[in-house]
Amino acid sequence: MAELGHFSQTLALILSVIGIISGILAGRTGKSSWLLTCRNATILVGIFVGIALASLGYLFYISDFSVTYVWQFSNRAMESNYRFSAIWGGMDGSMLLWCFFLAAAATIVAVRIRHYPVALSPWVLMVLNASVAFFLTVVVFYTNPFRFLGQPFIPPDGNGLNPLLQNIYMQIHPPSLYIGFTMFTVPYAFCLAALISKELNNEWIRLTRRWTLIGWGFLTAGIMLGGHWAYLELGWGGFWAWDPVENASFMPWLTATAFLHSVMVQERKNMLKTWNVWLIVLTYSLTIFGTFLTRSGIVQSVHAFAETDVGEVFLQYLAIVILAAAILTYVRWKELKSERFIESFLSREAAFLVNNLLFLSICFATLWGVMFPILSEAVTGTKQTVSIPFFNKVNVPLFLLLIFFMGIGPMIAWRKATFSNLRRAFIAPAISSLLVTVILLWAGIREIYPLAAYVFSFFALMTIVVEFYRGMKAVRASKSEKGIGAASADLLRRHRARYGGYLVHIGVVMAAISITSSMAYKVEKEFSIIKGESIEIGRFKITLDEISTTANDNYESLITQMSLYNKDNGNLIEVIHPEKRFYKKSQETTTEVALRMGAREDFYVALAGYDDTNGGKASFKVFINPLQIWLWVGGLIMLIGTGVVLFPNRKKEIEGLET
Amino acid sequence: MNSKFLTLFAAAFIVAVIMVYQATKESAAQVLVVSDLLKSSENMTRIRVGGRVSTLSLDYVTEPVMKLSFRIQDPGKELPEVTESNTVSVVYEGLRPDMFSAGRDVIIDGRYENGVLYASNLLTQCPSKYEPPDPLKQNQ
Repeated sequence: MAELGHFSQTLALILSVIGIISGILAGRTGKSSWLLTCRNATILVGIFVGIALASLGYLFYISDFSVTYVWQFSNRAMESNYRFSAIWGGMDGSMLLWCFFLAAAATIVAVRIRHYPVALSPWVLMVLNASVAFFLTVVVFYTNPFRFLGQPFIPPDGNGLNPLLQNIYMQIHPPSLYIGFTMFTVPYAFCLAALISKELNNEWIRLTRRWTLIGWGFLTAGIMLGGHWAYLELGWGGFWAWDPVENASFMPWLTATAFLHSVMVQERKNMLKTWNVWLIVLTYSLTIFGTFLTRSGIVQSVHAFAETDVGEVFLQYLAIVILAAAILTYVRWKELKSERFIESFLSREAAFLVNNLLFLSICFATLWGVMFPILSEAVTGTKQTVSIPFFNKVNVPLFLLLIFFMGIGPMIAWRKATFSNLRRAFIAPAISSLLVTVILLWAGIREIYPLAAYVFSFFALMTIVVEFYRGMKAVRASKSEKGIGAASADLLRRHRARYGGYLVHIGVVMAAISITSSMAYKVEKEFSIIKGESIEIGRFKITLDEISTTANDNYESLITQMSLYNKDNGNLIEVIHPEKRFYKKSQETTTEVALRMGAREDFYVALAGYDDTNGGKASFKVFINPLQIWLWVGGLIMLIGTGVVLFPNRKKEIEGLET
Repeated sequence: MNSKFLTLFAAAFIVAVIMVYQATKESAAQVLVVSDLLKSSENMTRIRVGGRVSTLSLDYVTEPVMKLSFRIQDPGKELPEVTESNTVSVVYEGLRPDMFSAGRDVIIDGRYENGVLYASNLLTQCPSKYEPPDPLKQNQ
């Protein structure tokens, strides 16, 4: 099976090179036979990468420990679903999975190639194949997952997946991120194709909108899942630490989000063409840069990836990606020039531009923070570093401004806002926001950041409410027989993209309120108690009922049982089980956090230790994170919103096929 | 490009640079290794130290507060003998991280005072995620 896998990925690499050559020939000569060759080669690449991935999955399924990678990341005691997710437990399999998603995207484009403009299609396939070829080169020559152990005997059992990764979120978080990352290759390919073929109208943006949105959705989901995993699994009560690896996925998300907004300006006003080209180049580059960052070992991170020589290869590829775009931009400078300009600061295009600059500033600050150790060492000779406080200092105020502009952008008029437009759109949100400010001040919220975060969030939410109300009134006025439910459904159906976008914004508002609350009003407490003792924290009382030990093939565990009561009325809220596990094979200890999620707050308990000499005292760390659950709900709403935008509009689809 | 666009762009760029500069100045920490600390006798605030947890005097108590005290040595260097003179004492108040044990590499943020490193943040590198043990060694 390992031979089949290795053979398939090597064949796929050869086919992708054929894809590049035939793509160039098709583009140069315009012959449809070359395009057909290129298309078929691309599809075959997809099939063979699929076979390679399936072989690796099979090797894990049958626990073939003669293969190094399987031996490293699987063992017999592991449940079979974790055995499968061990495919991306390490670097080699992750790279193959990345290749698979990329090749799958290229294959879908190749199958649908007739729907794209003839001038673009060969170049699109060429760039896609070049990208696939690069990743396959890495897989075949640097991180081959099909290498044999080279031992005279086959080990009876494998090493096993890190217990921290034996978790449902770790099964879906990496693939979700990889799908997110790889999807941005498609808009990059269309963008380069547009530059090469001089077809610099808005076509490449329209054709890749779905890809960008799907990529953005998966990236959002991946980041959220990663945060949720850290929150549940790592026991420190938080979900984000500005670690270089987190930042590596966050930076392309920022530029992609900027891109999703600024393309609306291009489609509507036919400007910002170069800007959009570079946003997508930047997004794609940052996905490559992130991989370089995390795999080269140049920055310190909790995620101690092996230091491999892959880093250098990625850096070279990154240089090619940026250089190609830079040269093409230079050559096509005249064609990229906009016919129109921003006329007024009080306009939607100006608001969108501010939004873009804010996203890019956050991205720049984050990049600076990540690169600072390297830069400071290069410039001053002594290595310095920045951590969480730096990122919060810079990015928190920028995010607050973004939320404010999230309220302004969608409602202000294009071109030049008139006084009546401003009054109509903002008078109700502004007045109610002032009211909320007074209420919050009265309630004792005096710190500027939380106050601003709550007020801006409310303002952004109100603008959406007002917009929705006005839209519905218009629908009901035109069709007087309709009820509120039918009218809102009608409104959503007719302006799906717009209201899907608003739904994403509502999700962002929820996430912003949740993050603000847990940052500003988190309660932490450490304590040690014996069986039967209780302690009061916040509005809760918690009692330690039981301490016991159990064991299975995989781990031994120390489990406590605790009852969580409402302090004021003594009612039992929930029985929870903070736990510590000791994994036999890897000799690792993990803390299994007990969590009681609630709409008001999360009650989060980590078992810190147990001392059986001193009358059996168990020690715990408790976090009370206000409104935490709304971050995850907000994330889910962002995804639902993305889904609403993506939901195929039959009429438009058919129009799209005809043009 | 028109002037309005340029104005916006320049303003945003300047503001971003100032914010980044200010925040860097306020929160940059010196990155050091254990031998740097051993050489220096002065106190230092805001440092990040990379080291390996030594087998010497590792202690974790949960009362009255959770406190982890241990000594670190330079990572990647074999010491003939681990003594108090080639290791640095570290005190960390908080939960003992899951992956923490002797022989592990840690990153410590904190301050250095009278020969003791007071950690405000302790990160344990998780060695098995992407670096499993060498198969050859284990099977021999």
